[in-house]
Amino acid sequence: MSASLRRRVADLAAYLLLLVGAVVTVAPFLLSLMTALKSPQQFASQTPLSPPAPVTLSNFTELFGGRYDFVSPVVVTAQVVAVVLVGQLAFSVLAAYAFARLRFPGREVLFWVYLATLMVPAVVTIIPLYAMFTAAGLRNTFWALVLPQVFGSPYAIFLLREYFRGIPEDLVSAARLDGCNTLQVLWHVVVPVSRPILATLTIITVVSHWNNFLWPLVITSGPKWQTLTLATANLQSQYNGNWTLVMAATTVAIVPLLLLFLVFQRHVVRSITITGFK
Amino acid sequence: MVADTAQSSAARSSTASSDAAARRRRRETGTAYALLAPSLFGITTFLVLPILVVVWLSLNRWDLISPVQFAGLDNFRQVLSDGQFARSLLITAVFVVLVIPLQTGLGLFAATLLTRGLPGSSVLRVLYVLPWICAPLVLGVVWRWILSPTDGALNALIGRRIEWLADPALALPSVAAVTIWTQVGYVTLFFVAGLTSIPTHLLEAARIDGANAWQTFWRIKLPLLRPTTFFVLVTGVISSFQVFDSIYALTPQGGPQGVTDVVAGRIYYQAFQSRQIGQAAVMALLLFVLLVVITVVQQRWFSRRTTYDLST
Repeated sequence: MSASLRRRVADLAAYLLLLVGAVVTVAPFLLSLMTALKSPQQFASQTPLSPPAPVTLSNFTELFGGRYDFVSPVVVTAQVVAVVLVGQLAFSVLAAYAFARLRFPGREVLFWVYLATLMVPAVVTIIPLYAMFTAAGLRNTFWALVLPQVFGSPYAIFLLREYFRGIPEDLVSAARLDGCNTLQVLWHVVVPVSRPILATLTIITVVSHWNNFLWPLVITSGPKWQTLTLATANLQSQYNGNWTLVMAATTVAIVPLLLLFLVFQRHVVRSITITGFK
Repeated sequence: MVADTAQSSAARSSTASSDAAARRRRRETGTAYALLAPSLFGITTFLVLPILVVVWLSLNRWDLISPVQFAGLDNFRQVLSDGQFARSLLITAVFVVLVIPLQTGLGLFAATLLTRGLPGSSVLRVLYVLPWICAPLVLGVVWRWILSPTDGALNALIGRRIEWLADPALALPSVAAVTIWTQVGYVTLFFVAGLTSIPTHLLEAARIDGANAWQTFWRIKLPLLRPTTFFVLVTGVISSFQVFDSIYALTPQGGPQGVTDVVAGRIYYQAFQSRQIGQAAVMALLLFVLLVVITVVQQRWFSRRTTYDLST
């Protein structure tokens, strides 16, 4: 076999394998969407692999109408994500700037402490946090959902610090000579040149808080502060077997993130490899 | 006399300038701590304080309702003697052993296929990451349907009735397979980045020396990928030891005969169902220590081996 023929056969095999991978990756999404668009009658009478005929939105109208009220979980989740996002970005920028550009006693030790807290897993803090929020009378409140995250994350601070250290000193001192104070320097100089890393952090924060489950599960009870993940889990355990409705719920939970992902796809891929975000 | 005045004025101006410098330093310190105040408060209250609280809770008895009671080391004795925690640790270790090698191998394999320069590779790479950005809990619910015995998609596809999640022999491998499906695209992404950063002149040189694709992979690419492999393994092991959401959705309550009772789930059920906060705190502490040890050991093991400096 000539080298070029061998190369072509290998390419073909590679394509086939990659295609199998793509089908395995996408199939669960398509299957759940198909089921969400089926009537419960069709789902009960035909194989689960059959396409919806006719396509119906009845599962979604049921989900958002009277009996299940999925409006509230969507609104609560969006509010939590928005508040956490603004707080985390703002407070992380402030801290990162101090670590990157200011000299002060205790800087190294404090930064080391911040980094060390990256090693603390959520499973470990969940029980003491529950005890603390219960003692403070904040269980099952909006504050309980946002407070642990809103003051900035050590991870975001670490990434921003690296980025801020690369900003040319001339830019900062020029702004200082023009009479800017620290906050003005941050707002007019540092933030505009840091747009790429801020966009990355925005995506990370939105995705991870939209998907958050364990903390809302522990700290809320009842429908009032149910998040989308929690509402989906509860719907599944309450209406086990009512899969058309449950798949409508998973679709609602997944689609906004998929849209975000497809719009910022290049950026997300780069962010993941830069930051190893989780 | 003249020299004297010169000296004293120099001294005066130097104290003046050192005064100014000290003032500037004080102001800078003040600014720094003002900027740090919110995150310092957040990190102290929600990350550092909880560690002290978990230690305190581990020494007490609490059922979420009645007052806290000092228990000494009773919780430790109970957790270490009743075997349930040890069993959860073992289950989690098996889960990690099922997930990590397969997802790392598959990810590396997919990455080598994606870096052959075939058209459409970048689209596929993006496609593979889709599951990673979705909530593990929600994907767990989707897979619970797909794997359900009578009306699930998988059994319909293969035309057999298999109890993927209810059979004690199959539940843990099924849960591991779903986890691999979720994460393999993420792992692939890192290996693609690692492979594309290998300088082409090295691969060219290997080709000229007569190395085939197999040899190039084992002798050149794999050793050069060590930092990527390290990162993927460490983060993979640490997150797999904490797996909770997907297992909560797929096999709640520890699964059939408790075969998927992983550590994070055990901690949750011990605390919020059995209402034994003290024992759950002990488990959380032990898990924390274990994760720190794993991180340090992996760090040591990898730093002992050679890494290659490509900067020249």
